[in-house]
Amino acid sequence: MILIAIILGCIIGAVIGIFAPMVSYTYSGYLAIAIIAALDSVFGGIVATLKKNFNLTIFVTGFFGNAILAILLTILGQKLNVDIYLAAIVVFVGRMFTNLAIIRRYYVDVVMKKIEEKKSKKKVENEK
Amino acid sequence: MQDICNMTNRGERMKFKIKFNKANIAMSISVFAVCIVLVTVMFIQFRTIEQVNESDIENMREAELREQISTYKSRYEEVNAQLEETNKTISEYETRIESNQEASELLDEELKQSQLLLGKTDVVGEGVVVTLTDNDEYSIVASDLLDLVNELRFAGAEAISINGIRILNMTEIADIYGYIIVTPNQRLVSPYVVKAIGNQTYLTSTLSLKNTGFIDSYTSSGRSVALEQQRNIEIPKYEWDIEANYMKEVTE
Repeated sequence: MILIAIILGCIIGAVIGIFAPMVSYTYSGYLAIAIIAALDSVFGGIVATLKKNFNLTIFVTGFFGNAILAILLTILGQKLNVDIYLAAIVVFVGRMFTNLAIIRRYYVDVVMKKIEEKKSKKKVENEK
Repeated sequence: MQDICNMTNRGERMKFKIKFNKANIAMSISVFAVCIVLVTVMFIQFRTIEQVNESDIENMREAELREQISTYKSRYEEVNAQLEETNKTISEYETRIESNQEASELLDEELKQSQLLLGKTDVVGEGVVVTLTDNDEYSIVASDLLDLVNELRFAGAEAISINGIRILNMTEIADIYGYIIVTPNQRLVSPYVVKAIGNQTYLTSTLSLKNTGFIDSYTSSGRSVALEQQRNIEIPKYEWDIEANYMKEVTE
C-alpha cells in the first residue's frame, strides 16, 4: 500500500510539476537547496526503515523542517554575503552518501545471506 | 518503504498486517503527500533551470530589476559627473589657450613695433628725397652726408636711407681711400639719393631755411643738391644682423 502511495504520489507530483507555474530564477536557488534537504530526509527515512526505528512524525517534520531551514539559511547567507548554501549542500549530500552506503550494505548483506542459505540447503540435500 | 522491508523480513510481516488499518493508512497518506510535494518541486525546478537561459530578464524578480535599474542609474550619474568635470577642464584649457593667444599676439605686436623702430622692416611713408651729386667743382664727401643725416634726424626723420641702404643710429659713414663707405662695407657712389620718412613740412622747412639751412648753404658753396617731396617713399630694412657683444641689460 505504501509502495502504491509512493508511485502514485510521484506520478501526480510530476504532472503537477509540469503544469505548475514557473518560479523566478532568484528563487530557484532556494528551491534547489530545499530539494536537496528533502532528498536527504527521504534517504534518512529509508535508512530508518531499514533499521526499524522509522518514526512518521520525525520523518515529516524533518522533511519540511530541513527544507525550510535550508532556505532560511540560504537567505541569511545572502544577507550576510556568505555562501551558507554551500555548507548546507555539503552536509546534506554527504549525509545522502552515507545513507546510500548504509542502504547498499543492508541489501548486499541480505542477498549474500540468501545465496549462502541456498548453498547450504543444496549441500544438505546433496548429503542426504 | 515498509513494504520492501516487510518482504525481506517475512517473519515480521504479520505484525505489520495488524497495524495496517490504523497507522499504515496515515503513513501512506503522509508519504503520498511528501512524494507529491517533492516531485512537484523537483519538476518545477527542472523546468525553471531549463528555460532560464531563454528569457533571462523575464525570470528576474521585480525588485531585482529595480535594483539593476538603480545601479545603472547611479552609474549613469557618475559617468555624467565625470563628463561634466572633463568638460569643465576642457573649457578651462580653452580659456587658457585663448589668454595665451592674446599674450602671444601682444608679444608679436610689441616685437613688430620694436622691429619697426629698430629698422628691421621695410617701411613706407611721406617724406623728402635729397639728391647730392658730384659736379666738376666739388665732389661730395662723407661729412656732407653725415651733416645731411644729422639735419634730417634733427628735423624728426623716422627712417633714413642712402642709395637704398638703411641708415641706423649705429651706422658709420666714412671716407676711405676716396670712397664713401657706409658700414658694413657698402661703397656709395654719386648720385647720393638720401631718402627720409617723417613730417614733410618739418623736414622741408628745416632743410631749406634761408641762408643757414642745409640746401642754401650747400648750393651756395657750389655743391649740387636737390630737394624733393614725395608721398610714398619706400625705405628698405637694414639687411644685416645687429649685434650687441659688450653691453648687457642691467639686472637688479
